[in-house]
Amino acid sequence: MSRNEIFTVLKSNMEMIIDGVEGLEIKENNSMVSDFGADSLEVVEVISRTQKQLRIKIPRTALSQVNNIKELIDLFEKAAS
Amino acid sequence: MNKINQPSANNLLRNDQHRAVITGMGIVTTLGETCNEYFDAIIAGCSGISLWKDKDTRLYSKFGGDMSDFDFKSHIERVGKDYPLDWTKGARKLLRSASLSGRLVTVAAMQACYDAKLHYVKLNPERFGHVLGGNNLGNSYAFDNTLEFEKEPDFIAPLYGAVAADTDVLAISSEILNLKGPSFTVGGFCASGNLALLSGLDLVRSGRADAILVSGGAMELSPVWLQGWTLIDAISFRSFNDEPTRASRPFDKRREGFVPSEGAGVIVLESLASAQARGVEIYAELLGASSTSNASRLTKPDLDGQVRAISGALQDAQIEPDRVDYINAHATSTSLGDASEVAAIKQVFGAHSYQIPVNSTKSMLGHCMTASSMVEMITATLQMKHSLVHPTINLEEPDPELDLDFVPHQTREHKINVALSNSFGFGGLNSSIVLGAIN
Repeated sequence: MSRNEIFTVLKSNMEMIIDGVEGLEIKENNSMVSDFGADSLEVVEVISRTQKQLRIKIPRTALSQVNNIKELIDLFEKAAS
Repeated sequence: MNKINQPSANNLLRNDQHRAVITGMGIVTTLGETCNEYFDAIIAGCSGISLWKDKDTRLYSKFGGDMSDFDFKSHIERVGKDYPLDWTKGARKLLRSASLSGRLVTVAAMQACYDAKLHYVKLNPERFGHVLGGNNLGNSYAFDNTLEFEKEPDFIAPLYGAVAADTDVLAISSEILNLKGPSFTVGGFCASGNLALLSGLDLVRSGRADAILVSGGAMELSPVWLQGWTLIDAISFRSFNDEPTRASRPFDKRREGFVPSEGAGVIVLESLASAQARGVEIYAELLGASSTSNASRLTKPDLDGQVRAISGALQDAQIEPDRVDYINAHATSTSLGDASEVAAIKQVFGAHSYQIPVNSTKSMLGHCMTASSMVEMITATLQMKHSLVHPTINLEEPDPELDLDFVPHQTREHKINVALSNSFGFGGLNSSIVLGAIN
Protein backbone atom coordinates (compact mmCIF):
# COMPACT_ATOMS: atom_id res chain seq x y z
CA MET A 1 0.00 0.00 0.00
CA SER A 2 1.42 3.34 -1.04
CA ARG A 3 1.92 6.32 1.21
CA ASN A 4 -0.38 8.29 -1.05
CA GLU A 5 -3.21 5.75 -0.63
CA ILE A 6 -2.92 5.97 3.17
CA PHE A 7 -2.90 9.78 3.08
CA THR A 8 -5.96 9.84 0.82
CA VAL A 9 -8.04 7.69 3.22
CA LEU A 10 -6.79 9.63 6.22
CA LYS A 11 -7.71 12.96 4.64
CA SER A 12 -11.13 11.72 3.69
CA ASN A 13 -11.80 10.64 7.28
CA MET A 14 -10.48 13.93 8.67
CA GLU A 15 -12.82 15.84 6.38
CA MET A 16 -15.76 13.71 7.44
CA ILE A 17 -15.11 13.66 11.18
CA ILE A 18 -13.30 16.83 12.26
CA ASP A 19 -15.40 19.98 12.35
CA GLY A 20 -14.38 22.62 9.84
CA VAL A 21 -11.72 20.61 7.98
CA GLU A 22 -13.73 20.10 4.84
CA GLY A 23 -12.39 22.36 2.09
CA LEU A 24 -9.09 23.07 3.86
CA GLU A 25 -5.72 21.95 2.56
CA ILE A 26 -4.28 19.14 4.66
CA LYS A 27 -0.52 18.72 4.67
CA GLU A 28 1.65 16.00 6.15
CA ASN A 29 3.23 18.37 8.64
CA ASN A 30 -0.19 19.38 10.03
CA SER A 31 -1.45 18.16 13.40
CA MET A 32 -5.09 17.17 13.77
CA VAL A 33 -5.28 18.77 17.20
CA SER A 34 -3.21 21.95 16.98
CA ASP A 35 -3.91 22.84 13.34
CA PHE A 36 -7.52 21.70 12.95
CA GLY A 37 -8.82 21.79 16.54
CA ALA A 38 -9.79 18.12 16.66
CA ASP A 39 -11.01 16.86 20.03
CA SER A 40 -9.78 13.62 21.56
CA LEU A 41 -12.73 11.55 20.33
CA GLU A 42 -12.39 12.88 16.79
CA VAL A 43 -8.72 11.85 16.67
CA VAL A 44 -9.59 8.35 17.87
CA GLU A 45 -12.36 8.07 15.32
CA VAL A 46 -10.19 9.25 12.41
CA ILE A 47 -7.40 6.79 13.22
CA SER A 48 -9.68 3.84 13.97
CA ARG A 49 -11.77 4.33 10.84
CA THR A 50 -8.65 4.59 8.72
CA GLN A 51 -7.28 1.39 10.22
CA LYS A 52 -10.48 -0.47 9.53
CA GLN A 53 -10.85 0.80 5.97
CA LEU A 54 -7.24 -0.04 5.13
CA ARG A 55 -7.35 -3.28 7.18
CA ILE A 56 -4.11 -2.21 8.86
CA LYS A 57 -3.55 -2.54 12.59
CA ILE A 58 -1.11 -0.15 14.17
CA PRO A 59 0.09 -0.64 17.74
CA ARG A 60 -1.95 1.52 20.13
CA THR A 61 1.12 2.07 22.30
CA ALA A 62 2.85 3.87 19.41
CA LEU A 63 0.04 6.36 18.87
CA SER A 64 0.91 8.50 21.88
CA GLN A 65 4.27 9.31 20.24
CA VAL A 66 2.69 10.72 17.08
CA ASN A 67 2.98 14.49 16.65
CA ASN A 68 1.68 15.07 13.16
CA ILE A 69 0.07 13.44 10.15
CA LYS A 70 3.41 12.50 8.62
CA GLU A 71 4.34 10.44 11.67
CA LEU A 72 0.93 8.82 11.62
CA ILE A 73 1.32 7.81 7.98
CA ASP A 74 4.78 6.47 8.85
CA LEU A 75 3.15 4.20 11.42
CA PHE A 76 0.57 2.97 8.92
CA GLU A 77 3.30 2.31 6.34
CA LYS A 78 5.39 0.41 8.83
CA ALA A 79 2.46 -1.69 10.00
CA ALA A 80 1.47 -2.48 6.42
CA SER A 81 4.92 -3.65 5.39
CA MET B 1 -57.64 4.40 49.14
CA ASN B 2 -54.74 2.62 50.77
CA LYS B 3 -52.56 4.67 53.04
CA ILE B 4 -48.98 4.51 52.00
CA ASN B 5 -45.87 5.18 53.92
CA GLN B 6 -43.50 6.83 51.52
CA PRO B 7 -41.84 10.23 51.43
CA SER B 8 -43.88 12.75 49.55
CA ALA B 9 -43.38 16.30 48.47
CA ASN B 10 -46.83 17.11 49.83
CA ASN B 11 -45.37 18.98 52.72
CA LEU B 12 -43.81 21.47 50.41
CA LEU B 13 -45.64 24.65 49.77
CA ARG B 14 -47.02 24.25 46.25
CA ASN B 15 -46.52 27.69 44.85
CA ASP B 16 -45.92 28.28 41.14
CA GLN B 17 -42.22 27.51 41.49
CA HIS B 18 -43.00 24.12 42.96
CA ARG B 19 -45.56 23.07 40.38
CA ALA B 20 -44.23 21.25 37.34
CA VAL B 21 -45.86 21.58 33.94
CA ILE B 22 -45.25 20.13 30.52
CA THR B 23 -44.30 22.73 27.94
CA GLY B 24 -42.83 20.62 25.16
CA MET B 25 -43.12 17.09 23.80
CA GLY B 26 -41.27 15.02 21.22
CA ILE B 27 -41.71 11.47 20.07
CA VAL B 28 -40.30 9.03 17.56
CA THR B 29 -41.91 5.63 17.15
CA THR B 30 -42.99 3.16 14.52
CA LEU B 31 -46.31 5.03 14.41
CA GLY B 32 -44.86 8.43 13.64
CA GLU B 33 -41.82 10.60 14.06
CA THR B 34 -43.63 13.65 15.46
CA CYS B 35 -46.42 14.08 18.00
CA ASN B 36 -48.88 14.97 15.25
CA GLU B 37 -48.03 11.96 13.08
CA TYR B 38 -48.12 9.69 16.09
CA PHE B 39 -51.42 11.01 17.40
CA ASP B 40 -53.10 10.68 14.00
CA ALA B 41 -51.99 7.05 13.88
CA ILE B 42 -53.19 6.06 17.33
CA ILE B 43 -56.51 7.83 16.92
CA ALA B 44 -56.95 5.83 13.72
CA GLY B 45 -56.18 2.61 15.60
CA CYS B 46 -53.09 1.75 13.55
CA SER B 47 -50.57 -0.88 14.56
CA GLY B 48 -46.83 -0.19 14.54
CA ILE B 49 -45.94 -3.87 14.74
CA SER B 50 -44.28 -5.72 11.85
CA LEU B 51 -42.02 -8.67 11.21
CA TRP B 52 -38.43 -7.92 12.24
CA LYS B 53 -36.62 -6.31 9.32
CA ASP B 54 -33.21 -7.88 9.81
CA LYS B 55 -32.84 -10.19 12.75
CA ASP B 56 -31.55 -13.70 13.25
CA THR B 57 -34.10 -16.07 11.75
CA ARG B 58 -33.48 -18.60 14.53
CA LEU B 59 -35.32 -16.34 16.96
CA TYR B 60 -38.67 -17.55 18.25
CA SER B 61 -39.69 -13.89 18.27
CA LYS B 62 -40.47 -12.83 14.70
CA PHE B 63 -42.10 -9.44 15.20
CA GLY B 64 -42.15 -6.19 17.08
CA GLY B 65 -41.77 -2.46 16.64
CA ASP B 66 -38.64 -2.16 14.53
CA MET B 67 -36.85 1.19 14.23
CA SER B 68 -33.48 -0.30 13.22
CA ASP B 69 -33.47 1.49 9.85
CA PHE B 70 -34.27 4.91 11.35
CA ASP B 71 -32.51 7.56 9.25
CA PHE B 72 -31.70 10.55 11.44
CA LYS B 73 -30.52 12.68 8.52
CA SER B 74 -33.76 12.46 6.61
CA HIS B 75 -35.72 12.91 9.86
CA ILE B 76 -33.88 16.15 10.61
CA GLU B 77 -34.30 17.37 7.04
CA ARG B 78 -38.03 16.72 7.20
CA VAL B 79 -38.93 17.55 10.79
CA GLY B 80 -36.17 19.96 11.79
CA LYS B 81 -36.09 22.36 8.88
CA ASP B 82 -36.90 25.28 11.21
CA TYR B 83 -34.57 24.20 14.02
CA PRO B 84 -31.69 26.51 14.94
CA LEU B 85 -28.63 25.83 12.80
CA ASP B 86 -26.47 24.91 15.79
CA TRP B 87 -28.95 22.17 16.75
CA THR B 88 -28.97 20.53 13.35
CA LYS B 89 -25.24 20.94 12.88
CA GLY B 90 -24.58 19.44 16.31
CA ALA B 91 -26.99 16.59 15.67
CA ARG B 92 -25.45 15.69 12.32
CA LYS B 93 -22.01 15.60 13.90
CA LEU B 94 -22.82 13.75 17.11
CA LEU B 95 -25.39 11.30 15.77
CA ARG B 96 -23.09 9.92 13.10
CA SER B 97 -21.29 7.79 15.69
CA ALA B 98 -24.23 7.40 18.08
CA SER B 99 -26.20 4.27 18.88
CA LEU B 100 -29.76 3.92 17.58
CA SER B 101 -30.96 4.79 21.09
CA GLY B 102 -28.90 7.98 21.06
CA ARG B 103 -30.34 8.92 17.69
CA LEU B 104 -33.96 8.32 18.67
CA VAL B 105 -33.70 10.15 22.00
CA THR B 106 -31.86 13.10 20.48
CA VAL B 107 -34.36 13.76 17.70
CA ALA B 108 -37.23 13.47 20.19
CA ALA B 109 -35.38 15.85 22.55
CA MET B 110 -34.96 18.43 19.79
CA GLN B 111 -38.67 18.19 18.99
CA ALA B 112 -39.56 18.72 22.66
CA CYS B 113 -37.29 21.74 23.06
CA TYR B 114 -38.50 23.27 19.82
CA ASP B 115 -42.09 22.66 20.90
CA ALA B 116 -41.32 24.41 24.21
CA LYS B 117 -40.01 27.41 22.23
CA LEU B 118 -36.62 27.02 23.84
CA HIS B 119 -34.96 28.13 20.63
CA TYR B 120 -36.06 31.70 21.23
CA VAL B 121 -37.40 32.03 24.78
CA LYS B 122 -34.44 30.43 26.47
CA LEU B 123 -33.76 29.18 29.96
CA ASN B 124 -30.63 29.66 32.02
CA PRO B 125 -28.64 26.56 30.97
CA GLU B 126 -27.41 25.99 34.52
CA ARG B 127 -31.04 25.81 35.72
CA PHE B 128 -32.05 23.40 32.92
CA GLY B 129 -31.18 19.75 33.55
CA HIS B 130 -31.72 16.39 31.94
CA VAL B 131 -33.02 13.14 33.40
CA LEU B 132 -32.87 10.16 31.08
CA GLY B 133 -35.12 7.24 31.97
CA GLY B 134 -33.77 3.88 30.93
CA ASN B 135 -31.04 1.34 31.38
CA ASN B 136 -29.34 -1.20 29.08
CA LEU B 137 -30.22 0.96 26.09
CA GLY B 138 -27.61 0.35 23.38
CA ASN B 139 -28.12 -3.38 23.05
CA SER B 140 -27.94 -3.74 19.28
CA TYR B 141 -24.89 -1.48 19.27
CA ALA B 142 -23.23 -3.69 21.90
CA PHE B 143 -24.31 -6.90 20.15
CA ASP B 144 -22.98 -5.80 16.76
CA ASN B 145 -19.69 -4.74 18.28
CA THR B 146 -19.38 -8.02 20.13
CA LEU B 147 -19.67 -9.82 16.79
CA GLU B 148 -17.07 -7.44 15.33
CA PHE B 149 -14.78 -8.10 18.29
CA GLU B 150 -14.97 -11.82 17.60
CA LYS B 151 -13.69 -11.13 14.07
CA GLU B 152 -11.09 -8.46 14.92
CA PRO B 153 -10.82 -6.69 18.31
CA ASP B 154 -9.11 -3.64 16.84
CA PHE B 155 -11.98 -2.91 14.51
CA ILE B 156 -14.85 -2.41 16.92
CA ALA B 157 -16.59 0.99 16.73
CA PRO B 158 -13.93 3.62 17.49
CA LEU B 159 -15.99 5.33 20.18
CA TYR B 160 -17.47 2.19 21.71
CA GLY B 161 -15.92 3.01 25.09
CA ALA B 162 -18.11 6.11 25.31
CA VAL B 163 -21.09 5.36 23.09
CA ALA B 164 -22.04 2.03 24.69
CA ALA B 165 -22.76 3.80 28.00
CA ASP B 166 -26.33 4.92 28.66
CA THR B 167 -24.94 8.29 29.68
CA ASP B 168 -23.89 8.91 26.06
CA VAL B 169 -27.57 8.86 25.09
CA LEU B 170 -28.15 11.62 27.64
CA ALA B 171 -24.97 13.55 26.81
CA ILE B 172 -25.65 13.99 23.11
CA SER B 173 -28.85 15.95 23.54
CA SER B 174 -27.43 17.78 26.56
CA GLU B 175 -24.55 18.98 24.34
CA ILE B 176 -26.74 19.97 21.41
CA LEU B 177 -29.31 21.73 23.60
CA ASN B 178 -26.81 23.13 26.10
CA LEU B 179 -28.31 21.62 29.26
CA LYS B 180 -26.01 22.27 32.21
CA GLY B 181 -28.29 21.71 35.21
CA PRO B 182 -28.82 18.53 37.28
CA SER B 183 -28.43 15.54 34.97
CA PHE B 184 -28.39 11.77 35.41
CA THR B 185 -29.94 8.54 34.21
CA VAL B 186 -32.71 6.68 36.06
CA GLY B 187 -32.91 2.96 35.40
CA GLY B 188 -36.11 1.12 36.20
CA PHE B 189 -36.51 -1.00 33.08
CA CYS B 190 -40.16 -0.79 31.93
CA ALA B 191 -40.93 1.72 34.70
CA SER B 192 -38.00 3.96 33.72
CA GLY B 193 -40.04 6.70 32.06
CA ASN B 194 -42.30 7.24 35.04
CA LEU B 195 -39.35 7.05 37.42
CA ALA B 196 -37.57 9.69 35.35
CA LEU B 197 -40.71 11.83 35.60
CA LEU B 198 -40.71 11.33 39.36
CA SER B 199 -37.08 12.46 39.51
CA GLY B 200 -37.76 15.45 37.25
CA LEU B 201 -40.76 16.39 39.37
CA ASP B 202 -38.70 16.27 42.56
CA LEU B 203 -35.96 18.41 41.00
CA VAL B 204 -38.45 21.09 39.96
CA ARG B 205 -40.40 20.96 43.23
CA SER B 206 -37.25 21.24 45.30
CA GLY B 207 -36.06 24.23 43.32
CA ARG B 208 -32.88 22.50 42.14
CA ALA B 209 -33.82 23.36 38.57
CA ASP B 210 -36.25 25.57 36.65
CA ALA B 211 -36.75 22.91 34.02
CA ILE B 212 -35.77 19.33 33.29
CA LEU B 213 -35.67 17.62 29.94
CA VAL B 214 -37.15 14.22 30.84
CA SER B 215 -36.27 11.57 28.30
CA GLY B 216 -37.68 8.10 27.86
CA GLY B 217 -34.67 6.27 26.49
CA ALA B 218 -35.22 3.90 23.60
CA MET B 219 -34.11 0.36 24.34
CA GLU B 220 -32.54 -1.27 21.31
CA LEU B 221 -33.89 -4.77 20.78
CA SER B 222 -30.98 -7.12 20.27
CA PRO B 223 -31.59 -10.76 19.39
CA VAL B 224 -30.15 -11.91 22.71
CA TRP B 225 -32.71 -9.87 24.66
CA LEU B 226 -35.52 -11.12 22.44
CA GLN B 227 -34.46 -14.69 22.98
CA GLY B 228 -34.09 -14.06 26.72
CA TRP B 229 -37.62 -12.74 27.01
CA THR B 230 -38.87 -15.72 25.05
CA LEU B 231 -37.20 -18.15 27.42
CA ILE B 232 -38.91 -16.58 30.44
CA ASP B 233 -42.19 -16.61 28.50
CA ALA B 234 -42.63 -12.85 28.64
CA ILE B 235 -43.17 -12.00 24.97
CA SER B 236 -45.62 -13.12 22.32
CA PHE B 237 -44.12 -15.70 19.96
CA ARG B 238 -46.61 -18.55 19.60
CA SER B 239 -49.73 -17.66 17.64
CA PHE B 240 -49.25 -14.48 15.67
CA ASN B 241 -46.16 -14.89 13.51
CA ASP B 242 -48.36 -14.61 10.41
CA GLU B 243 -50.36 -11.68 11.82
CA PRO B 244 -47.97 -9.50 13.80
CA THR B 245 -50.36 -6.55 14.02
CA ARG B 246 -52.76 -8.75 16.01
CA ALA B 247 -50.19 -9.95 18.53
CA SER B 248 -50.42 -7.13 21.07
CA ARG B 249 -53.90 -7.65 22.48
CA PRO B 250 -54.20 -6.39 26.06
CA PHE B 251 -57.24 -7.57 28.03
CA ASP B 252 -58.12 -10.06 25.26
CA LYS B 253 -58.62 -13.72 26.03
CA ARG B 254 -55.92 -14.73 23.53
CA ARG B 255 -53.19 -12.44 24.84
CA GLU B 256 -49.93 -14.32 25.22
CA GLY B 257 -47.17 -11.88 26.08
CA PHE B 258 -45.89 -8.41 25.34
CA VAL B 259 -44.67 -7.29 21.93
CA PRO B 260 -41.38 -5.38 22.22
CA SER B 261 -40.92 -2.16 20.34
CA GLU B 262 -38.34 0.55 19.79
CA GLY B 263 -39.11 4.23 20.27
CA ALA B 264 -38.42 7.28 22.39
CA GLY B 265 -40.37 10.10 23.97
CA VAL B 266 -39.09 13.28 25.57
CA ILE B 267 -40.77 16.17 27.40
CA VAL B 268 -39.78 19.52 28.82
CA LEU B 269 -40.91 19.62 32.45
CA GLU B 270 -40.79 23.14 33.75
CA SER B 271 -41.86 25.04 36.85
CA LEU B 272 -45.16 26.79 36.36
CA ALA B 273 -43.48 30.08 37.25
CA SER B 274 -40.84 29.60 34.55
CA ALA B 275 -43.39 28.59 31.91
CA GLN B 276 -45.54 31.61 32.72
CA ALA B 277 -42.53 33.92 32.67
CA ARG B 278 -41.58 32.59 29.23
CA GLY B 279 -45.17 32.88 28.05
CA VAL B 280 -45.29 29.45 26.45
CA GLU B 281 -48.13 27.01 25.98
CA ILE B 282 -48.69 24.60 28.85
CA TYR B 283 -50.00 21.16 27.93
CA ALA B 284 -50.65 19.73 31.38
CA GLU B 285 -49.42 19.66 34.94
CA LEU B 286 -47.54 16.72 36.38
CA LEU B 287 -49.43 16.52 39.65
CA GLY B 288 -47.81 13.55 41.28
CA ALA B 289 -45.69 10.42 40.95
CA SER B 290 -44.80 7.36 42.96
CA SER B 291 -42.36 4.51 43.19
CA THR B 292 -42.83 1.19 44.96
CA SER B 293 -41.02 -2.12 45.02
CA ASN B 294 -42.35 -5.66 45.26
CA ALA B 295 -39.15 -6.66 47.08
CA SER B 296 -38.90 -9.54 44.65
CA ARG B 297 -36.81 -10.35 41.57
CA LEU B 298 -39.67 -12.30 40.05
CA THR B 299 -41.05 -10.87 36.81
CA LYS B 300 -44.63 -11.66 37.80
CA PRO B 301 -46.79 -8.69 38.83
CA ASP B 302 -47.58 -7.95 42.45
CA LEU B 303 -51.03 -6.58 43.27
CA ASP B 304 -49.97 -4.90 46.50
CA GLY B 305 -47.04 -3.14 44.83
CA GLN B 306 -49.28 -1.88 42.03
CA VAL B 307 -52.00 -0.69 44.42
CA ARG B 308 -49.43 1.17 46.49
CA ALA B 309 -48.00 2.78 43.35
CA ILE B 310 -51.39 4.01 42.12
CA SER B 311 -52.46 5.15 45.60
CA GLY B 312 -49.10 6.79 46.18
CA ALA B 313 -49.26 8.83 42.98
CA LEU B 314 -52.78 10.01 43.82
CA GLN B 315 -51.72 10.93 47.33
CA ASP B 316 -48.68 12.79 46.03
CA ALA B 317 -50.95 14.63 43.59
CA GLN B 318 -53.48 15.39 46.34
CA ILE B 319 -56.18 13.93 44.11
CA GLU B 320 -59.09 11.81 45.35
CA PRO B 321 -59.65 8.69 43.25
CA ASP B 322 -63.08 9.77 42.05
CA ARG B 323 -61.55 12.76 40.27
CA VAL B 324 -59.56 10.54 37.90
CA ASP B 325 -61.30 10.40 34.55
CA TYR B 326 -58.80 8.54 32.37
CA ILE B 327 -56.23 5.77 32.88
CA ASN B 328 -53.45 4.89 30.49
CA ALA B 329 -52.83 1.33 31.59
CA HIS B 330 -49.47 -0.42 31.61
CA ALA B 331 -51.39 -3.24 29.91
CA THR B 332 -48.65 -5.14 28.15
CA SER B 333 -50.80 -8.00 26.87
CA THR B 334 -49.49 -10.57 29.31
CA SER B 335 -51.89 -12.93 30.99
CA LEU B 336 -50.92 -12.16 34.58
CA GLY B 337 -49.96 -8.52 34.13
CA ASP B 338 -53.22 -7.28 32.63
CA ALA B 339 -55.26 -9.17 35.21
CA SER B 340 -53.25 -7.81 38.11
CA GLU B 341 -53.47 -4.22 36.87
CA VAL B 342 -57.24 -4.46 36.48
CA ALA B 343 -57.48 -5.82 40.01
CA ALA B 344 -55.29 -3.00 41.30
CA ILE B 345 -57.43 -0.37 39.56
CA LYS B 346 -60.58 -1.90 41.04
CA GLN B 347 -59.05 -1.99 44.49
CA VAL B 348 -58.05 1.68 44.39
CA PHE B 349 -61.03 3.13 42.56
CA GLY B 350 -63.82 0.81 43.65
CA ALA B 351 -67.11 1.40 41.80
CA HIS B 352 -65.63 4.46 40.11
CA SER B 353 -63.26 2.19 38.15
CA TYR B 354 -66.19 1.27 35.88
CA GLN B 355 -66.67 4.94 34.99
CA ILE B 356 -63.10 5.50 33.80
CA PRO B 357 -61.90 4.77 30.25
CA VAL B 358 -58.81 2.55 30.59
CA ASN B 359 -56.95 2.07 27.31
CA SER B 360 -53.73 0.41 26.23
CA THR B 361 -51.35 2.32 23.98
CA LYS B 362 -49.29 -0.86 23.72
CA SER B 363 -52.10 -2.55 21.78
CA MET B 364 -50.99 -0.42 18.81
CA LEU B 365 -47.40 0.50 19.51
CA GLY B 366 -46.17 -2.57 21.34
CA HIS B 367 -44.05 -2.21 24.45
CA CYS B 368 -41.39 0.49 24.11
CA MET B 369 -39.72 -0.96 27.19
CA THR B 370 -37.62 1.70 28.97
CA ALA B 371 -39.33 4.46 26.97
CA SER B 372 -42.85 3.08 27.29
CA SER B 373 -44.12 5.13 30.21
CA MET B 374 -42.73 8.36 28.76
CA VAL B 375 -44.39 7.60 25.43
CA GLU B 376 -47.61 6.82 27.29
CA MET B 377 -47.45 10.03 29.34
CA ILE B 378 -47.16 11.94 26.07
CA THR B 379 -50.06 9.88 24.73
CA ALA B 380 -52.17 10.78 27.77
CA THR B 381 -51.30 14.46 27.38
CA LEU B 382 -52.20 14.46 23.69
CA GLN B 383 -55.52 12.80 24.46
CA MET B 384 -56.14 15.39 27.18
CA LYS B 385 -55.39 18.17 24.71
CA HIS B 386 -57.74 16.82 22.06
CA SER B 387 -60.45 15.47 24.41
CA LEU B 388 -60.21 12.05 22.79
CA VAL B 389 -59.35 8.59 24.08
CA HIS B 390 -57.68 6.25 21.65
CA PRO B 391 -58.85 2.68 21.11
CA THR B 392 -57.46 -0.51 22.55
CA ILE B 393 -57.13 -2.54 19.38
CA ASN B 394 -57.24 -6.33 18.99
CA LEU B 395 -59.71 -6.64 21.85
CA GLU B 396 -61.70 -9.16 19.84
CA GLU B 397 -62.63 -11.58 22.58
CA PRO B 398 -62.57 -9.72 25.91
CA ASP B 399 -61.36 -11.75 28.83
CA PRO B 400 -64.53 -12.19 30.90
CA GLU B 401 -62.52 -11.67 34.08
CA LEU B 402 -61.50 -8.20 32.90
CA ASP B 403 -64.54 -6.01 32.71
CA LEU B 404 -63.52 -2.35 32.75
CA ASP B 405 -64.15 0.12 29.93
CA PHE B 406 -61.10 -0.58 27.77
CA VAL B 407 -62.23 1.62 24.86
CA PRO B 408 -62.29 -1.27 22.38
CA HIS B 409 -61.75 -0.70 18.65
CA GLN B 410 -62.85 2.93 18.30
CA THR B 411 -61.56 6.32 19.39
CA ARG B 412 -64.04 8.19 21.55
CA GLU B 413 -64.58 11.81 22.54
CA HIS B 414 -63.89 12.20 26.22
CA LYS B 415 -62.94 15.21 28.30
CA ILE B 416 -59.94 14.46 30.49
CA ASN B 417 -59.19 16.56 33.57
CA VAL B 418 -57.12 14.11 35.59
CA ALA B 419 -55.20 11.23 34.04
CA LEU B 420 -53.34 8.36 35.65
CA SER B 421 -50.60 6.44 33.84
CA ASN B 422 -49.14 3.22 35.23
CA SER B 423 -45.86 1.46 34.55
CA PHE B 424 -44.52 -1.68 36.11
CA GLY B 425 -41.03 -2.98 35.43
CA PHE B 426 -38.85 -6.05 35.78
CA GLY B 427 -37.11 -5.94 39.11
CA GLY B 428 -40.42 -5.64 40.92
CA LEU B 429 -40.62 -1.89 40.24
CA ASN B 430 -43.93 -0.04 40.06
CA SER B 431 -44.55 3.59 39.28
CA SER B 432 -47.58 5.72 38.51
CA ILE B 433 -47.97 9.34 37.57
CA VAL B 434 -50.92 11.73 37.68
CA LEU B 435 -51.48 14.48 35.11
CA GLY B 436 -53.88 17.38 35.44
CA ALA B 437 -55.38 19.60 32.78
CA ILE B 438 -54.45 23.26 32.91
CA ASN B 439 -57.47 25.48 32.61
